[in-house]
Amino acid sequence: MATWTWFHRLASPPHVYAFAQRWTPWFGGFAAVAMLIALYGGLVLAPEDYQQKDAFRMVYVHAPTAWLSLMIYTTMAVAAAVGLIWRMKVAHAAAAACAPVGAWFTVAALGTGMLWGKPMWGAYWVWDPRLTAELVLLFLYFGYMGLRAGIEDPAKADKASAVLAVVGVINVPIIKFSVEWWNSLHQTPTVMQMGKPKMDGDMLWPLLLMFVGFALYFVTVLLIRLRAELLRRERNASWVREVVA
Amino acid sequence: MNEFFEMGGYGKYLWPAFVLGFGIVVLNLVLALNSLAAARKDARRRMEISQ
Repeated sequence: MATWTWFHRLASPPHVYAFAQRWTPWFGGFAAVAMLIALYGGLVLAPEDYQQKDAFRMVYVHAPTAWLSLMIYTTMAVAAAVGLIWRMKVAHAAAAACAPVGAWFTVAALGTGMLWGKPMWGAYWVWDPRLTAELVLLFLYFGYMGLRAGIEDPAKADKASAVLAVVGVINVPIIKFSVEWWNSLHQTPTVMQMGKPKMDGDMLWPLLLMFVGFALYFVTVLLIRLRAELLRRERNASWVREVVA
Repeated sequence: MNEFFEMGGYGKYLWPAFVLGFGIVVLNLVLALNSLAAARKDARRRMEISQ
């Protein structure tokens, strides 16, 4: 029975709201510290790459933003699926909270990638499998948000957008494995691969720390947006009166 | 110091990328906080009307 207690609490908006309020500063604080140390490690301490020279330092902003764009979509799809299967309102709210953040980080991944592509490949944009699939990810986020905005009844918007989020998750492995399945201009994974990372330790730790920082940051932003979503959805509930009083 | 900002000639691509990436990091925190503040304000207004 104890196993189900946490699941029931997860379904209770006031409980989730209080949890989010309590933990946001912690996640945010650790995210900021991790990112700042990683920035110093990546831009100052790490040696230059033997092939890409200093341009390789792009990895410290491009890889975490690109990884986050995929992780946020996956989180959104899982939350949407939980919302569909267990009819859990909090899960639908979490999925809705993910979308704008994910769209912004897809823009960040595409933009930083273009700025890395120009000096390395000679072009800002090529219709390469990975780049194209990442662009499709941006359109999926737009589609999800557009669909929600277009349906007035919140319950119907939750259901329809959740189906889109779940179906669209097929694009995540396509992006991840595009560099292995097809002849891509994009380099293959350096860290997220089976076995040992193909990177020196002095370059690797700032990157791994940056991933940790971005993950904590995403939790921070998600918790803040989730609180906003819950307040809007439950505006007539008595617990909302208590927390805003 | 100048050498650091030049980044071996790649500075003109590197720094805009970092500004864009971390600019979006800061922006999303601000947008989320604004969204929460707006939702709280709306909930408070509803409470006052209903009283």
